[in-house]
Amino acid sequence: MIRAETLSKSFGGVRAVQNVSVSVPEKSIFALIGPNGAGKSTLLNLLSGIYQPDAGSLTYGDENLIGLPAYRRVRLGIARTFQKIRLFKQLTLLENVLAGFHIHHETPFWRYLAFGDRGRFRDEARELLAFLGLGEREGERAGALPYGKQRMLEIARSLATRPKFFMLDEPAAGLNAAEVDFLLQRLVDINRRGITLLVVEHNMDLVMNVAQRVFVMDHGEPLFEGTPREVQANSSVVAAYLGGEFAA
Amino acid sequence: MRRAAYLFGAAAIVALLPWLITTPYWRGILILCAMNVLLALSLNLVMGYTGQLNLGQSAFFAIGAYASTILVKTYGWNFWLASLAAIGGAGFLGLALAAFAVRLRGHYLAIASLGFAVITYQVLVNWERVTEGVRGIYGILPPVRNAVALFYLIAAIALIVYFVLDNLVRSPIGDTLRAIREDEVSAASLGVNGAIWKAFAFGVGAAIAGLAGCFYPGFVGTLVPDAFNIVESFTMMAMVIVGGMGTMIGPVIGAIVLTFLPELLRGFGELRLMIYGAALTLVVLFMPGGIVQAWSTLRARSR
Repeated sequence: MIRAETLSKSFGGVRAVQNVSVSVPEKSIFALIGPNGAGKSTLLNLLSGIYQPDAGSLTYGDENLIGLPAYRRVRLGIARTFQKIRLFKQLTLLENVLAGFHIHHETPFWRYLAFGDRGRFRDEARELLAFLGLGEREGERAGALPYGKQRMLEIARSLATRPKFFMLDEPAAGLNAAEVDFLLQRLVDINRRGITLLVVEHNMDLVMNVAQRVFVMDHGEPLFEGTPREVQANSSVVAAYLGGEFAA
Repeated sequence: MRRAAYLFGAAAIVALLPWLITTPYWRGILILCAMNVLLALSLNLVMGYTGQLNLGQSAFFAIGAYASTILVKTYGWNFWLASLAAIGGAGFLGLALAAFAVRLRGHYLAIASLGFAVITYQVLVNWERVTEGVRGIYGILPPVRNAVALFYLIAAIALIVYFVLDNLVRSPIGDTLRAIREDEVSAASLGVNGAIWKAFAFGVGAAIAGLAGCFYPGFVGTLVPDAFNIVESFTMMAMVIVGGMGTMIGPVIGAIVLTFLPELLRGFGELRLMIYGAALTLVVLFMPGGIVQAWSTLRARSR
């Protein structure tokens, strides 16, 4: 579905991503793991268009993504969440999700000037809030939500773009055990709707439970790729990242 | 339904005002107030809803005033046609300023837009062949026959602009503009082209300020660059902040309060500006969300 070939990105002297080739199969759940500073978030920023690569190629289906800004990639069906949550904090939950429908509005703006209209997509936005367990709180300010709920709201907002390829940057960070279980269930549900997922995550229980394939990075370079079982059995991955917990 | 009732109520108040206020001086202040409401609404779209710190709004007010007047006096255009051209010109230059806003944020945009206002002012002073420079343009007639009619005209336009902008900010476009204000990177991740929508807000805001500018010369009768120095930009900003930035009614209240307050303080003579300044500082210190937010907090507490 999305395919990167020898992708590289440096910041000053720091080579954040070097020669990374990766291909995410359609309709899969694909995990991206590695120690802090391994270049996972940079790779996500390259795939979503926040950064442009210094070298390499990047395609999505038949589309060449190189040079395409982030907002245009959304129209191709690419969505993402952020490691450091980036909600519209002063807006309500419902307004946050409604903003996510931006690319699906087809009404010319002068019609809004004359008649106003906020009715469209409200029902769909409420369904998304309910799906992420936020149904009762649509009128609250997003910034006032507890941390775990903010993560769920960010997912609801991204789903409003109706993505085909959805990247989540550490969705379980800061969640308690019950919230992680809920997230895990939702990721499976989202994937069942035919949406391809790329999940950057440190929570190994979550990764090993939902991912079909796991891509391991270290120091900006690819280290290993395989099924969760293969990853746990690989000695270089265990040495670089997993440590004793998953050692066979 | 409730909105229709409010609109009807506001129209009724506007209709009654010249009957309650009968001296020519205070009727003049009414006209000024209606113009300030338009200016505050125009800046609020850019600053309050889209979150762009714009200190150049006085330039668009000036462009509306000078373009319409010069087209009427020098080229013999009809006032309404000249006004349309002036509004279009101001809107177009708003797009030009938006080009800065696409690259600059926060304080940097504030400085760039301030520079735009300074340049515009200097052009008005120095391009004497067209603007008459500091000598000014004299004997400008209002488009309607008397002060009451001029007030009705500007106030009616302000009501229409309010209604249209209110529709706009309640529409999905309002969601998009607020999304840009809150977090532009996040908005881009939802498919929002920040550059286009910022240009939209700047263009519409500039056109409305230009519209207000069309009526100013006829009201005063003369046109000099000093009426559009950068202090005007700060006054507009004070109206937006004191009333309540990012709400529709806030800037209207701010414009009314800050138009009448200096007049009511005239009895204090030299102390007037000090009291005015102190009042502004106190509002920002103790009511950071402006009068509108202070009012809703008070109401919530009293329940």
